[in-house]
Amino acid sequence: MPFNAIPAEDFLNRENELNYLKGLPALKGKALGGDVFLEGARGMGKTELLKQLYRSLFWEDQAVPFYYSFKTANLKGAYFAKDYFTAFVRQYLACAKKDPSLADNAAEPLPRLMPALSSLGLPWLIDCIENFEEQTRKNDFYWQLVAAIATPVVAAQKSGKPVIVMLDDFDAASRLYETSIGDAHGLISLFAESLQNRRCPHVITGSAGALDAIFTDHSLIGMTERMPLGPLPENLAITLFKSHLANLQITCASSIELEFLDILKGNPLYIRNIAKAAGKMQKQELTKKDLIESYCFEVSTGETAFYWSSVFSRYAGTAANRKAMVELLMHSVENGGLEEVARLALVSGVGVTETEAMLGRLETAGILRNKDAVLRDVIRCCYLQEIAGRDVNDVQEKIAAKYLSESEASCFELVIPMTSNAELVVAKAVEQIGKNMNLNDELLNYLQLALLEVCINAMEHGGSYEKKVFLKFITRPDKLEIVIENSGRQFSADSITHIPVEEKLQAGMKRGWGFKLVYSIMDSVKIERINDRTRITLTKDITEKEVVK
Amino acid sequence: MKSVPFSVASRLEGDAAVIYPKGYLNNLSGESLVIECGNYISQGITKIVVNFSETDLINSIGISLLLQIMEDLKNIKGTICCTNMSKFLRDTFEMLGLIQHMRVFPVESDALKYLSAGKV
Repeated sequence: MPFNAIPAEDFLNRENELNYLKGLPALKGKALGGDVFLEGARGMGKTELLKQLYRSLFWEDQAVPFYYSFKTANLKGAYFAKDYFTAFVRQYLACAKKDPSLADNAAEPLPRLMPALSSLGLPWLIDCIENFEEQTRKNDFYWQLVAAIATPVVAAQKSGKPVIVMLDDFDAASRLYETSIGDAHGLISLFAESLQNRRCPHVITGSAGALDAIFTDHSLIGMTERMPLGPLPENLAITLFKSHLANLQITCASSIELEFLDILKGNPLYIRNIAKAAGKMQKQELTKKDLIESYCFEVSTGETAFYWSSVFSRYAGTAANRKAMVELLMHSVENGGLEEVARLALVSGVGVTETEAMLGRLETAGILRNKDAVLRDVIRCCYLQEIAGRDVNDVQEKIAAKYLSESEASCFELVIPMTSNAELVVAKAVEQIGKNMNLNDELLNYLQLALLEVCINAMEHGGSYEKKVFLKFITRPDKLEIVIENSGRQFSADSITHIPVEEKLQAGMKRGWGFKLVYSIMDSVKIERINDRTRITLTKDITEKEVVK
Repeated sequence: MKSVPFSVASRLEGDAAVIYPKGYLNNLSGESLVIECGNYISQGITKIVVNFSETDLINSIGISLLLQIMEDLKNIKGTICCTNMSKFLRDTFEMLGLIQHMRVFPVESDALKYLSAGKV
């Protein structure tokens, strides 16, 4: 509901937008302004801006605010009409009586509001209720919708006080239906008259992709201006984060560097969620490590993860489609984008037609256009949990390692062709990397051997169009992690059989020694299938005796 | 690891062939080792010493080819001895549990003595 806005002092850097929106009735009345489409990435504060606008208008009394969220709306036309209509009546009454509780009291039937409306001198609103109930009794679907959508306009005309209509996630209105999904296209155009009314400015939000499609409707063209909501500047992002922490009685350690917050790209939702995550994790004096842990919690199981997960589910529709969608998104994250549909269908596993439809939905939702690092980490976490079957602790550790290692470690990347002796280039590289880490020669030899084996395996299982092996070396004082990836045939840990040597020799099995060596040398070997690539992660913990003084 | 191109040299010492693989023993170089040994076997030689003093690295395919030579010799009741293995090389075979199935000598002369004594 509109009253659960954050405190105004924590709503930073949107004063200009807020003032402009408050002035919309005057501008629209003089034909100098129209309706406004708030544009911005998810979490950038569009809904929060609507709530702040609502709260401000509610108490200032220059115009009547009406807020409706399509996010949770029942899109069956008759239900929607009733919900929209009653929401308006309640909010109008609440504003007239300056009693926010009336707006939230969804259990109060409309007839019980009649005495209050009567005492406030709003007979026209009583007429509206009677008219709406009449249409409902007649079961006239179309006129129920028209009556509901027109009520804010009627209110503005009858009272002489403008009504600012705020439609959150308005693109969902394009999916309004009569009895079954998809049976009544174009019902969104019923809003056209309301949008055109000079006493009723509309402020709408929604996915830019979806609204682009809606605004091709001629009745809605030309009346709406876009208002982009950008990220918070770095200093304000930090101020906001600290303010949230202060509200949660969390202090920042003096040594903490908040540059890590750059990853949030000034997104107020993310900033708030991480602060809340720190609270949930009972942090008291936040260090950088705590901050990263809170972030990992947030992207794997916190509100941010839940938010994005809900978005994925909404656009996927079914459980099977959601799985395919996560596969596609992970593919996009890993490859920096998506390629042709035929190939992506192999990744999604749901066929070309459904893959194409899914890409369309992702595009409409604006998810594919969204390049933020937080979303990428949420996708990674979803993938690891839902597809790779990892438990949440493992996933959080993986994400944390990425950021901790980035800050404390060096990272080298290498790509080799699948040609003979290319693995020797890798052996040379690890030799130098090991020397940089002061590792002793013996350990270096073993690391080289392990890497040779994994590279040979990658080349044997390769054979795809890519013909390359991708390597990443992440070094920390106490650990060396090597990630080897190649496309091609699937290779899994299950294919590594541990047959006793005697049995192997007796059976004349001469191959299959490579991974035995790798497992003997490394402290941890993880084999995963990430889309059409096999990823092997080798980890070696460095002990003191393995370092040359 | 030295970047020495693989080569294989050999000589005959009495009734034993001594093979010197040099460099990185992998699939390609392992094949030449198999061919070299095969040449001696076809001449009736059943005692082979592989001197690893100049072998700096061996991969699992190289190991499997070495096992191939061991099996070929076993089929003709021959013997293969490995000598001059670096600690790293020994440890590699040890890791795989193969060392106990090989005749390993510190130096080439020890292996030749063993073979000439007929303790096969």
